[in-house]
Amino acid sequence: MRDLVVLGGSSHPSLTRTICRNLTIEQGEVSSRKFSNGETSLEIQDSVREKDVFIVQSGCGDVNDNFIELLIMIAACKTASAKRVTAVLPLFPYSRQPDSPHAAGLTGAPSISTKKEQYTYESVPGTPGPFVSKNSDTFTSDSDSHTPPPTLNLGGKSVFSGLKPQVERTQSYSSKFFTPKSIVTNSASTNLPPVDAYGKTESGYKQWIAQNGTLIANLLVTAGADRLITMDLHDPQFQGFFNIPVDNLYSRPLLKHYILDYIPNYQECVIVSPDSGGAKRATAVADAIGCSFALIHKERRAKVAKNPPSTAASSSSVPMSASNTILSSSNTMVATTMLVGDVRDKVCVLIDDLVDTSYTITRAAKLLKDQGAKYVYALVTHGVFSGDAINRVNKSAIDKVITTNSVPQSERMKVLGSDKFEVLDVSRILAESIRRIHNGESVSMLFDHGW
Amino acid sequence: MPATPNSIKLIGGNSHPELCEKVSKKLGLSLAKVGAFQYTNKETAVAVGESVRDEDVYIIQTGCGEQDINDFVMELLIIINACKIASARRITAVVPNFPYARQDKKDKSRAPITAKLMANLLQTAGCNHVITMDLHASQIQGFFRVPVDNLYAEPSVLRYITNNFDKKDLIIVSPDAGGAKRVASIADKLDVQFALIHKERQKANEVSRMVLVGDVSDKVCILIDDMADTCGTLCKAADILLDNGAQKVVAMVTHGIMSSNATEKLNNSKLDRIVCTNSLPLNDKLAQCPKLEVIDIAPTLAEAIRRLHNGESVSYLFNNIPE
Repeated sequence: MRDLVVLGGSSHPSLTRTICRNLTIEQGEVSSRKFSNGETSLEIQDSVREKDVFIVQSGCGDVNDNFIELLIMIAACKTASAKRVTAVLPLFPYSRQPDSPHAAGLTGAPSISTKKEQYTYESVPGTPGPFVSKNSDTFTSDSDSHTPPPTLNLGGKSVFSGLKPQVERTQSYSSKFFTPKSIVTNSASTNLPPVDAYGKTESGYKQWIAQNGTLIANLLVTAGADRLITMDLHDPQFQGFFNIPVDNLYSRPLLKHYILDYIPNYQECVIVSPDSGGAKRATAVADAIGCSFALIHKERRAKVAKNPPSTAASSSSVPMSASNTILSSSNTMVATTMLVGDVRDKVCVLIDDLVDTSYTITRAAKLLKDQGAKYVYALVTHGVFSGDAINRVNKSAIDKVITTNSVPQSERMKVLGSDKFEVLDVSRILAESIRRIHNGESVSMLFDHGW
Repeated sequence: MPATPNSIKLIGGNSHPELCEKVSKKLGLSLAKVGAFQYTNKETAVAVGESVRDEDVYIIQTGCGEQDINDFVMELLIIINACKIASARRITAVVPNFPYARQDKKDKSRAPITAKLMANLLQTAGCNHVITMDLHASQIQGFFRVPVDNLYAEPSVLRYITNNFDKKDLIIVSPDAGGAKRVASIADKLDVQFALIHKERQKANEVSRMVLVGDVSDKVCILIDDMADTCGTLCKAADILLDNGAQKVVAMVTHGIMSSNATEKLNNSKLDRIVCTNSLPLNDKLAQCPKLEVIDIAPTLAEAIRRLHNGESVSYLFNNIPE
């Protein structure tokens, strides 16, 4: 194809290679290095003058490094007189961030790391255990804790979930400030006040977390991107943040084909959404296949309690199968998880767009097994599996995980093995969309039929 | 109608907490309750725990960290954007060491002008003003459409020299031709001689051949540069100066990046000592390198913030050190 150049960032070289193989073109050569002071240095080896340039970079690994590298690459192509620059982001960075500290507590990672062998079938986030002295002001964690809890301290106490509904565990350490930067550096400077169960500080200001969607969109446009290709955006509204065309591809046809081809008696299976936000996505698949559908719903309520409530009592009603309780001195957050739909003796297929910490999906699997499900598949488009997620999945009730290579998966394959883990290839669908966009053909056909 | 009075909100990024602390102490303010953290998937997020509505916001973040420099850039962008969303009246990025400042020109085919990109990104995020220090090339100010205050470490350097050396046998040396102007200005103000080392560079961060212009025999040489990265240049320059009969060689640089094995190189070099400002965190380097000394620039930054907030002239700081 004339004037088509596909360049790859350092986040996912193998995907770029397969895309180029599918397009039967040579991959454009880029040497990406770091200067000794850590700054990213780029050199595009071949001319891109008046060319149609596509840059493949996934939002995985060191997200910020990869994102800045992408911005520099776009800018470099632009200053080198490229005709059009299209950023291809199979996984869009910063597409899913908890919108409030509350949500961060549950969907973000409450990950106090536990020792590897302590991952349980139940997939309970590790807790420092009941032996830590009460009201200690310092954060204590176990020896190999490289991930302090980014639980945005709800009332100075961290989030934990009860192992079984009957077991009551009180979280008894408190940290003055929540510990930031769960991976890289330096928590010392973070200067945040303790908040109560409603996210309010003493002064009454409700602490909030900035949403980065618009910023990321604007940064890409500023760098010079003329067009964007991405896949299964967490929020479809994200497209509206851009003033440039965004092609949001779907992995649904891929997932559907997997179900039809590889799940025995797929007519009998139940498609399950692990949270209410993903219901639409899951029903779409269920409709397309013509099988039944179930939903797991998580509810969090803040209620004021004089004494820590008996968790056993609150969870004795039928639909509550797991309950997470966050206790603080004056306020109590009760989170209940319930299943809507019947899964007894059925094969369940959990469908989600993104698995990050894997708490949601492993808890969902546990709940399904508790409710009598026979076998649990998890079909996810973007298997990010950050932190210890992959080990958690390994020990969880999920029988098989199917994901795509929108982010590199070979390391995960080594942990889980091919019996438990399968990777679908998205390079063909991306390659076809690149071909169609380059030739000015319609892309919408890919939405329904895949490639 | 005059604008209603507002106050300074000082926000510290995670790159240089010590400097943030010093500036806030100098200003007599505590840091605002805005903090950045990172999720396990390595995305950065910013929590805002205090209102910045209609306030004058200053965000201190320097470009540093061999592993984290891009993280800190994103962190700065996200904090700026968060303040913009939170309706701050004016957002000023205080970036003592401007990241990617050396990639300021298209020196090869298809080379990115990343400094320009950084300028654009900062403005896109919502930055209304930039305070920086000793930009590698002052033309970078022209990359911005918003005002940029490029402060100088020169007054602090001059004071250090006058306090620590005898002018009689002093000579100021520039380790490369690019720094000649900076060095000439300092030599003029001290009324001493200056010399120049010309180097031929083949690859970035690698130095090949060096030639000395000027007489340094029996002199105390002060090498002055804007940044010390791998320190290869400084160490080689010291060798050349001593070969040409210099008494001893001291290096003074604004930004002590000291990447990879720079401290080791300095320890093994013939440099008598190296003096840096604290525009970057140097605490771990201080432990590794006994030759290292640090000048505090927090007062200059704090005074610039105070003057900017009150609408006073900043140019006083180009020649003076605030007390």
